[in-house]
Amino acid sequence: MGLLVLRNIWKRFGATQALSGAAFDLQAGEVHALVGANGAGKSTLSRIVSGHIQPDQGEIVLNGTPVRHGGSREAIRSGIAMVTQETSLAPDLSVLENIMLPRIAMPGRLRWRAMRAQGQALIEELGREAGLHLDTTVGDLSIGQRQLVEILKALALDSRIIIFDEPTAPLSPHESERLFEIMRRLAARGRGLIFVSHRLEEIFTIADRVTVLREGRLVEGGLPTRDLGQGELVRLMVGRELQDIYGRGDARRRVPAGRSPVLRVRNLCCPPLARDVSFEVCAGEILGLAGLVGAGRSETLETIFGLRRARSGTVELEGRPFVARTPREAIRAGIGLIPEDRRGQGIVPDFSVRENLLLAHLGAHAGIGLAYGTRTDAVRELLAVLDLPERRLLDANMLTFSGGMQQKVILARWLALSPRLLLLDEPTRGVDIGTRSSIYALLRRIAARGVACVLVSSDFEEVIGLADRITVLSDGVSVTELPSDLVDIEKLGMFAAPRTSAERTHTVLEDLVARHGGAAYWIAVEEERVFCFDRVGTDPAADPGFLAGGFPQLAGTAIAHAVGTAAEGLVAAPDGTHPTLLVAIRGRRGHSFGIVGLTLPHPVPGFDAPAVRARIEAALSEPPAQQPTDVRLTT
Amino acid sequence: MSNARQDIPACAAALPRGHRNLLRLLATQIELRMLLVILVVMFVLSLISPYFLTVNNLLNVLDQSVVVGMVALGQTLVILIGGIDLSVGSLAGVTGIILGLSFPHFGLYGGIVLCLAAGAFAGLVNGVIITFGRVAPFVVTLGMMSVGRSLAYVLSGANSISGLPAGLGQLSADSVAGIPVDFWCLIAAYALCWWFLTYAKGGRTLYAMGSNREAARVAGLSIVRWGILAYGVSGLMSAVAAIFLASRILSIDPIGGQGLELDAIAAVVIGGASLFGGRGSIIGTLFGVFVMVFIRNGLNLLNVSPYWQGTAIGSIIIAAVLVERLLSGARARA
Repeated sequence: MGLLVLRNIWKRFGATQALSGAAFDLQAGEVHALVGANGAGKSTLSRIVSGHIQPDQGEIVLNGTPVRHGGSREAIRSGIAMVTQETSLAPDLSVLENIMLPRIAMPGRLRWRAMRAQGQALIEELGREAGLHLDTTVGDLSIGQRQLVEILKALALDSRIIIFDEPTAPLSPHESERLFEIMRRLAARGRGLIFVSHRLEEIFTIADRVTVLREGRLVEGGLPTRDLGQGELVRLMVGRELQDIYGRGDARRRVPAGRSPVLRVRNLCCPPLARDVSFEVCAGEILGLAGLVGAGRSETLETIFGLRRARSGTVELEGRPFVARTPREAIRAGIGLIPEDRRGQGIVPDFSVRENLLLAHLGAHAGIGLAYGTRTDAVRELLAVLDLPERRLLDANMLTFSGGMQQKVILARWLALSPRLLLLDEPTRGVDIGTRSSIYALLRRIAARGVACVLVSSDFEEVIGLADRITVLSDGVSVTELPSDLVDIEKLGMFAAPRTSAERTHTVLEDLVARHGGAAYWIAVEEERVFCFDRVGTDPAADPGFLAGGFPQLAGTAIAHAVGTAAEGLVAAPDGTHPTLLVAIRGRRGHSFGIVGLTLPHPVPGFDAPAVRARIEAALSEPPAQQPTDVRLTT
Repeated sequence: MSNARQDIPACAAALPRGHRNLLRLLATQIELRMLLVILVVMFVLSLISPYFLTVNNLLNVLDQSVVVGMVALGQTLVILIGGIDLSVGSLAGVTGIILGLSFPHFGLYGGIVLCLAAGAFAGLVNGVIITFGRVAPFVVTLGMMSVGRSLAYVLSGANSISGLPAGLGQLSADSVAGIPVDFWCLIAAYALCWWFLTYAKGGRTLYAMGSNREAARVAGLSIVRWGILAYGVSGLMSAVAAIFLASRILSIDPIGGQGLELDAIAAVVIGGASLFGGRGSIIGTLFGVFVMVFIRNGLNLLNVSPYWQGTAIGSIIIAAVLVERLLSGARARA
């Protein structure tokens, strides 16, 4: 007996048939993913479940009783709630008030004391690590925390069914992981969770079953994810095999040394988020700016583009100092910005597609008139590149477009100006996998034409897949710069971990140096390379051969022998110097969080290696709830 | 609608396909809807009063539309960017007084120039405070409304000014091709404004910033400059209205232009503009002005007491906007 069953659902919007006989069933205690490419109808279907829209035809059975929602309020009453990526919270109210908002809307006296107790109980249910307090004003919370408030709101209504509509889009990988844990816990308590997403990794991580829609039709209903391969799911979604969505094959391009950069940023500081950012990018290169939400990535781009003022630091454009006081100056200098918030900073909803395409042209154009005519050929060419039929140019409402299509139009807006530097802030946020790969292909082509691209993304897989080099930002500081073929998601995550959450490790390192002298560090070793995330201690005699943010060849460091022997105690280099102790750190689910090492300036007789090892392990590997790299949602 | 220009060919092509398309055209084109409303109003009024469709009355209606029309033009620009200008009536009052006081010293043209400059200046002050001070337009223009009216009384010593130059009266007395000169001026102003809003960068900037200010900023549009200029034009048009008002009644009173802001805002809103900005058209505003003037004229012809006219007009405004909402809601769902 299903918790919720939808059968033969049809829905039409104007000329678009959004759903043609879609179906879905949800069991109590499961996470059921609803997937599909752009325009597959997954949002429509989830909005039908949540009562926001009515189906034209079809049957909805809730707990065995056929229902016809009169609207979202009735859906809420029958225990269905929705957690969206763009949250629907009142930013000026407190967490408690927001959680209880539906209660406040009901008639009757408010019992604040009871509500407070219930709110506290709900927070406990969610897990106290969430770091939420009932009295915080929601406007002060991070995006990840706001989402938790939305979940609490759903729980306060005692919702049996919770729909998560692309909840991870604005979250960092660690925040997503935390969210998934919460989702698991909710499912384990008998709730039914609907998870709408197009990130395959996530679907395989969290979902028990998956229903695939394509063009409004049901392709597969309720497939258990464990019987499914990633390639197979993609094939079901897009109807064909998708090989390498980043379209780079094996060839990683390296920009030849000595080429002068298009953009050089030095010690850029734009408080509060961007504090000390340095990087450079050459023509034809894609540079990834990786970091978590709040690491100062968007602020860096906005400062370069003239939307914010830098407090200090320099920006050089093709070797000359450059300060944009307004976006217009940046545009005239050949810079384009694809902003993070497509709806808020990108689209002009009352303009046709054509005028949206030509908006940056209008900004750059100096005359009195529009001079749209001069761009007719460029627009036609771009439409061909974007795969957008020409008749849609005059479509009056871009908001009815899919996220991917909107993003393509905004990309095209800048391409029309032939920029030399393109700043891209989360270009694939809210874009499904089918369209994402075409956006990636487009970006590669843009770079190949000699445009320098700076790509900001929370999706580390995307940064690694797309960028040639990666600059990692952590808490507003550029901590390292790596070729993208040297790193993987885990290492990038450790570099990007905010200093506040890496503090625990840092404290341990400081403690080690204070007790024993020498140098203590947190590293990962892979493919004959050392990646150093943090290092304490400056004694030259104990220099292991790398600094924080460095990634030298293992053979060139002083700890090569120690890594090679993998001994429990101190291991010195073959020449007897640099006695080193290495301790592997494991996370709660057993995966590696790198190695903490201590290198001493000279051999120490009676050094109690097992005791030191035990202390490091006690501090970092356990207890499960507190991991060194576990980013709390309070970033 | 902002996209009216581009949509027309598509709709025209669809027309021959029958009634459905005609209905859709009506549903998408607010200007056509407005024209229909005006025709219906005219038809009803002509049935009720035999005097309505006489040349004299129609000329009278044209005459009355000039003052509201001029102010509504400036108001349209301000509402397009999501603002509002409550000071227009008072500014018409004070600039009228400035006009009257400067005739003896600077002559007819000198007076007109001074009057226009004063209006534009006050409007720019509004715009600068709103843009740089980030104060709500409602508050700033409400303050300016009070300042303007007060200055009108101070400057005039609370007396009306008469004995205006004869040349001023010619503006509304003379006619070309049977239509009064002042109405030609109105048409010229609206034509210029239509061109500006449709084909000029500044006009499209106003639409873009009203629709999504941040997106316009990121695209490099000069939102500060055009935001201020919209209020400047609104102030300027108040002064223009003051000149035509003086030319019509050949006397200037410090209370002149009182309540003009409400008529102008009503005309813009009836004309289909959204008070949130980004949506509206100057043609719609012109029709909105006509609807307002016709209705007022009709109420006069019907001998409705002036005390009741406010209730009638207010109800009609609310009803018109309500119907418009329902229609556009139906379109959004379609």
